[in-house]
Amino acid sequence: MKENHIRNWEPKIFAFLCQYCASAGADLAGVSRMKYPPNIISITVPCSGFVDMQYVVKAFESGADGVLIGGCHTPSDCHFLRGNFKALKRVALMKKLLAQMGIEPERLRLEWISATEAKKFVEVVKDFVKKLKELGPIVRE
Amino acid sequence: MGGKMYKMAIVPGEVCGGCDMSIIDLHEKLLDVLGSIEIVYWPIATDFKEEDIEKLESIDIAIFQGSIRTEKQRDIIEKIARKSKIKIAFGACACFGGIPDLADLYRVDELFKIAYFESPSTINKEGTIPGRGKSDDGVSAPKLLDENLKVDDLIEVDIYIPGCPPPTESIVEAIGLLLGHFEHGKPIQKGTVVASLKTLCDECEREKPEKIEISSFRRIHEVKDIDPNKCFLAQGIICLGPITRGGCGLKCIKANMPCRGCMGPAPEIIDPGAKMVSSLAALIEIANEPKLSDEELVERVEKISDPVGLFYRFTLGLSRLHRIARRRLK
Repeated sequence: MKENHIRNWEPKIFAFLCQYCASAGADLAGVSRMKYPPNIISITVPCSGFVDMQYVVKAFESGADGVLIGGCHTPSDCHFLRGNFKALKRVALMKKLLAQMGIEPERLRLEWISATEAKKFVEVVKDFVKKLKELGPIVRE
Repeated sequence: MGGKMYKMAIVPGEVCGGCDMSIIDLHEKLLDVLGSIEIVYWPIATDFKEEDIEKLESIDIAIFQGSIRTEKQRDIIEKIARKSKIKIAFGACACFGGIPDLADLYRVDELFKIAYFESPSTINKEGTIPGRGKSDDGVSAPKLLDENLKVDDLIEVDIYIPGCPPPTESIVEAIGLLLGHFEHGKPIQKGTVVASLKTLCDECEREKPEKIEISSFRRIHEVKDIDPNKCFLAQGIICLGPITRGGCGLKCIKANMPCRGCMGPAPEIIDPGAKMVSSLAALIEIANEPKLSDEELVERVEKISDPVGLFYRFTLGLSRLHRIARRRLK
């Protein structure tokens, strides 16, 4: 039964997508009727630089197996000029912290997705789901 | 405190003795209080034994020091808590798990392997491990719990006095609270924290630049020329002031040492380490951001070594992230 449970298990992804790029890219994927896995729950935020790493902790705590942060391309696409750099640096340090804690750093993923890159958004979600399936659930019980 | 004598127990868990020192550090103020206090349990200073706890009917004030690591400590603390009216978590270990909590990054068998077999200073031919087997006179060391506990993992706490050790001012404030409660019937709100509501940075007198930017990190043992009047972060030295509660009297800062967070996270912080990651990482290489590639920037950030030991030095027991990681360890 336990094995069966793992076989039927689907990873949950919480995504923080910035309003101007990644979220618009996700919208474009939707209106273009592109198909991607339904494992993702997206939350639109004003900027990727808005995402406090405490939200990542909260996401994992509420059952996320992976967290995706989507922002505008570096160096100059960010609507707020420097927000994407903030996200980049925070995620880099957070990954190191996760690894030391004993949580796979791959569960936290940062991607630059512009408003036109619907295809990239779809690819990222597909790939992330695949990787998380290899990693398995964050807590095995 | 008038004519009545109040019964007080000071209960150690996993302690270093610093908390007891900070009580003795009250000096003359201690004399004012001693007249109205009857110490019923304080192993470090008095000769009470475990059997004496059984004989006690009730205790007015119980002060718990240190985190809880062994079954024996757990049993004594639970026994005393059942008889106590006001329960106080005293010091960083009792409040947040403290430094001993960092051992929770490993399983007990991993800890034993290092401490009793692999450390270079250990000779253990018989393979003795505490908690298994008995000495010739039938005594055995208490068994270790699966994880290190803070006091409120076991019992409900009325007053938290954080700090490593708690500053004298906090203890005086707590005595004031207790006086008000016992003499004048003022209620004590459960979970009162005797510390500032503001962050340490808010109280710090060092000169802070308008914008703090860090281009290279320096560890405290690597630098000799720390400016005693300038913000540590602006000098590239990691200081936990932005996320830590004030109220400690800035002792470390005045001694030209950066904050390590013994007063615990400021109110409203969910996870101290994650918060520190957010606030610290954002300061790195601000001016050079557009010039550096993503990989180079990541490389600069990754120069921070041992983020868990730095950001959760006293507060790993509060970390929600750690709680998830612990469930994976089992």
